[in-house]
Amino acid sequence: MTINAHLTEFAGKPVVDFRHEQDGEPSDGQPGSSAPGSQTSAGDVAWRVATWFDGPGFGEIFEAFLGTVATAEVTHLVIGYWGASYDQGTPDPVALLTVAAGRLPALRALFLGDIVMEEAEISWIEQSDVTRLFDAFPGLEHVEIRGSQALELRPVSSQVLRTLRFESGGLPAEVVRAVGDSDLPALEHLDLWLGTGSYGGDATTDDLAVILGGERLPALRRLGLEDAQIADDIATAVAGAPVVARLESLSLALGTLTDRGAETLLTGQPLTHLRRLDLHHHFLSDAMMARVRAALPGVEVDLGEQEPLDDDWLYVAISE
Amino acid sequence: MTFAVVGTPGDRRTEMFAAACRSAGLDEPIVVAWRDVLRGAAPAVASGSLLRVDSPGEDAEVDALLRGPGDPARVGGGARWYASFTTALGRVAAAAEQAGARQLGDVDEIAVMCDKRRCHARLRSAGVPVPEALPPVYDYADLRARMTEAGLHQVFVKPAHGSSASGVVALRAGPAGRVKAVTSAARTAAGLVNSLRLRTYETEPEVAYLIDSLAPDGLHVERWLPKAGLDGRVLDLRVVVVAGKPTHVVVRTSCSPMTNLHLGNTRGSVDAVRDALGAAGWERALDVCAQAAGCFPGSLMVGVDLLVQAGWRRVAIGEVNAFGDLLPGITGLPGTWAEGLDTYGAQVSAALALRGPRAAAHHAAPRTVGRDLP
Repeated sequence: MTINAHLTEFAGKPVVDFRHEQDGEPSDGQPGSSAPGSQTSAGDVAWRVATWFDGPGFGEIFEAFLGTVATAEVTHLVIGYWGASYDQGTPDPVALLTVAAGRLPALRALFLGDIVMEEAEISWIEQSDVTRLFDAFPGLEHVEIRGSQALELRPVSSQVLRTLRFESGGLPAEVVRAVGDSDLPALEHLDLWLGTGSYGGDATTDDLAVILGGERLPALRRLGLEDAQIADDIATAVAGAPVVARLESLSLALGTLTDRGAETLLTGQPLTHLRRLDLHHHFLSDAMMARVRAALPGVEVDLGEQEPLDDDWLYVAISE
Repeated sequence: MTFAVVGTPGDRRTEMFAAACRSAGLDEPIVVAWRDVLRGAAPAVASGSLLRVDSPGEDAEVDALLRGPGDPARVGGGARWYASFTTALGRVAAAAEQAGARQLGDVDEIAVMCDKRRCHARLRSAGVPVPEALPPVYDYADLRARMTEAGLHQVFVKPAHGSSASGVVALRAGPAGRVKAVTSAARTAAGLVNSLRLRTYETEPEVAYLIDSLAPDGLHVERWLPKAGLDGRVLDLRVVVVAGKPTHVVVRTSCSPMTNLHLGNTRGSVDAVRDALGAAGWERALDVCAQAAGCFPGSLMVGVDLLVQAGWRRVAIGEVNAFGDLLPGITGLPGTWAEGLDTYGAQVSAALALRGPRAAAHHAAPRTVGRDLP
């Protein structure tokens, strides 16, 4: 599986592409534009700012966005393709964002890296130190980051961050630990796509210990430890993790969960309080799938995408 | 009025075209077998007939006559295939000329369409949007050097004379010397064979072997433009243009860079694509297809592969196929004269509407026939 379509909705708002005038396309009719009859506000939508392969530099497009749109009203921002280091003059989108922080005072929701397979392999998306975003935008309530090449994070502190998601083919252990060591008392939803060691996903359950302990995440209700080559180990760790008792939704989806992991999950602490358990994309046997369903009668369990176990090759849904 | 078809007796294309003739109240078309033509028989084209040249198809015997003996599933042999095929096309054209038959597909145009390099060059020189192409490349090292020169880090490598994605490679070079190739060509002890399951090669020696194996038959390399996606699948469009008008559209969707339907991909919703492009964008997209078809004015029908780039604002032509009309179950776009007709029925109607002593300049037909075709 791969990610094949750009976002159409983000954090509750429809995504609208910022149309750069050099597209040769009119930019009127966009929300918040000064076109006659425009009743809309720049804050009504999630703005998607991106370049394309032979397009202008991302920096130029971002500058045009700042100059054209009433950015003081913008609450939701989606950053798409910004080029690659092997292109010439590719900017650092995090630096551009942090420099522009004063012009984006209302920013609450940010997606960094709405880049699809046709544009780059997820494991090739080049990130950087994203700690800077949390420093520059203390009002961020919702942050999603795709790609983990050179991704860095140091522990952050936010009283308002409610959703934090990392999508990757291999999430570095340092990032996982930094999330655990962060001070995020309002965080309700955390997803980590741990990926595989082949693509830098070197986190172990030890690196997840603080998150699973839950003491630093008092508001957490939705936890996803997904796309993991170590899904069975995670299931074992989750089976005894204190944080689980307060969750409404738990996901071990997209990974390589087998009967071994499911067994430990079922023999661990009760999961019947969950509203939803997402295990889709897994390697469970039919018998184990039936046991999981039988053990969790009131829980909405997603057991879709049963993968064949015939060649002893376990693979996560999204890696490259 | 009788049609003559150079094709493979009994295959789906020939049968569907015959069915379209019957539906139009015409006699069964006279089928001239590619097998016989390629063995050297004089093409028996009836005097005054309308001559349709169809694909030599997937007949193993025909394949052996074109490419030489060997496993029909093998990848490669395109250069020999092309030489045999164009020679035979010349004989078909000569026979048609002699019999006074009207040719529905100009053989020189078919020859251009069966060479992706020439096809791309013709489209480009006519101002049709196409992905940027690399100059000729002769092996893997050469390919990588040309990619670097052009600043391209992802390309489609296509055998110049291939079809059905055979030997096509989606190649990407990444940071830190990484490389990744996705292709339907599977490496076996006997060489590359076509597979219905895509393979991924991620080491330099494997990718080099792949490209070096394909290169001797000629390669066309062009920029891999990111395709638009819907519902988690990427897509492109096959647009059949009959007598200059885009008439039939199939959306091909995929979870891989290859959209060919035989590779386990599925048809998508035309309405959803039209909505995503918007009314004006849809019209522009179809206009580009018509413009591409206009580069082949002697061909009654061409099958255009339309790439819609991620973002839904830019389109480009991937390929123009001389035999791109095998779209079972697809009828003409609502509001066009082909509404309700399959691609074969539309061609029968358009062919019957042709006026004048020669088959040239088919694209004059829509102006006189327009939407009032039967």
